[in-house]
Amino acid sequence: MRDRDWAIPEINLLLCSRCGTCVERCPTSAVDMGPEGPVIARPADCTYCVLCESICPQQAITCAFEIVWEPEG
Amino acid sequence: MEHTAQALRRITLFAGLSDDALARVAREAVHRTFAVGETIIFEGDPCQAAYFIAQGNVRVYRLSPGGREQVLARLGPGQAFNTVPPFQSQGVNHATVQALTPVILYAIAREDFRRLVGECAELALAILHDFADRLDHLTNLVEDLSLRTVRGRLARFLLDRASAEPGGVEDTVQATRRWTQEEMAAYLGTVRDMVGRALRAFADAGLVRIDRQRIVLLDRKGLEAEAQR
Repeated sequence: MRDRDWAIPEINLLLCSRCGTCVERCPTSAVDMGPEGPVIARPADCTYCVLCESICPQQAITCAFEIVWEPEG
Repeated sequence: MEHTAQALRRITLFAGLSDDALARVAREAVHRTFAVGETIIFEGDPCQAAYFIAQGNVRVYRLSPGGREQVLARLGPGQAFNTVPPFQSQGVNHATVQALTPVILYAIAREDFRRLVGECAELALAILHDFADRLDHLTNLVEDLSLRTVRGRLARFLLDRASAEPGGVEDTVQATRRWTQEEMAAYLGTVRDMVGRALRAFADAGLVRIDRQRIVLLDRKGLEAEAQR
């Protein structure tokens, strides 16, 4: 994740129950169900809205934020 | 035993102990492993032990009377949990702790932990130091809960946690700490919905900008005014 300037939600596949709620509810359809569980298949479509984190019944998805000051200039 | 002592040296609470004191702790520490999703302790059960995480991450949470989970913390390597109940006369676990990943930890049984503290002044001081920090945080939190709104508490939190001004010496170190809205809520004594709402209100007021995974602070004076509310 750190090799690009923007993050995507982190999905803990060990906790995930493959219920598909995140796939169904993602407002930009950025999540697909892959063979091992959900993946952010279209990261460019993900707006990091944190809905997936809030609805995941297993709390397997996290969206973390850095807190920074506006760069000068 | 040597291996255990080396592992315990990486636990924050034990990091400053002498080799002798650490060896005494290591003699009582029991190596345990947990699979992902496994519950390590249950809220309300009699306290059996204090726990020190060597590897992996755990979630600490309580259940409200309505059955809602309130996450208190996510802890990782070097951190400890259930260190307070061993010192209470009929101590029970204050929260449920669940493994988020495979977890390796060291458990020190309640009676052994109490005895070690009685015998080893270094350990007692380290624990007092840790408890003092927690008491300080909780005292401030009680004041904040009584006197300030969630918006006020969040504004103070953002000001305190933000990386230094760009180019400042703390910039790199501080910027590596990332917070979920759930973690912010637990720290501020509220729920994640309230944090999300307050963040959106700050963004609408031009105090911050939510720049994908970054909360970018824009207006120090405005946030400081919010922090007084």
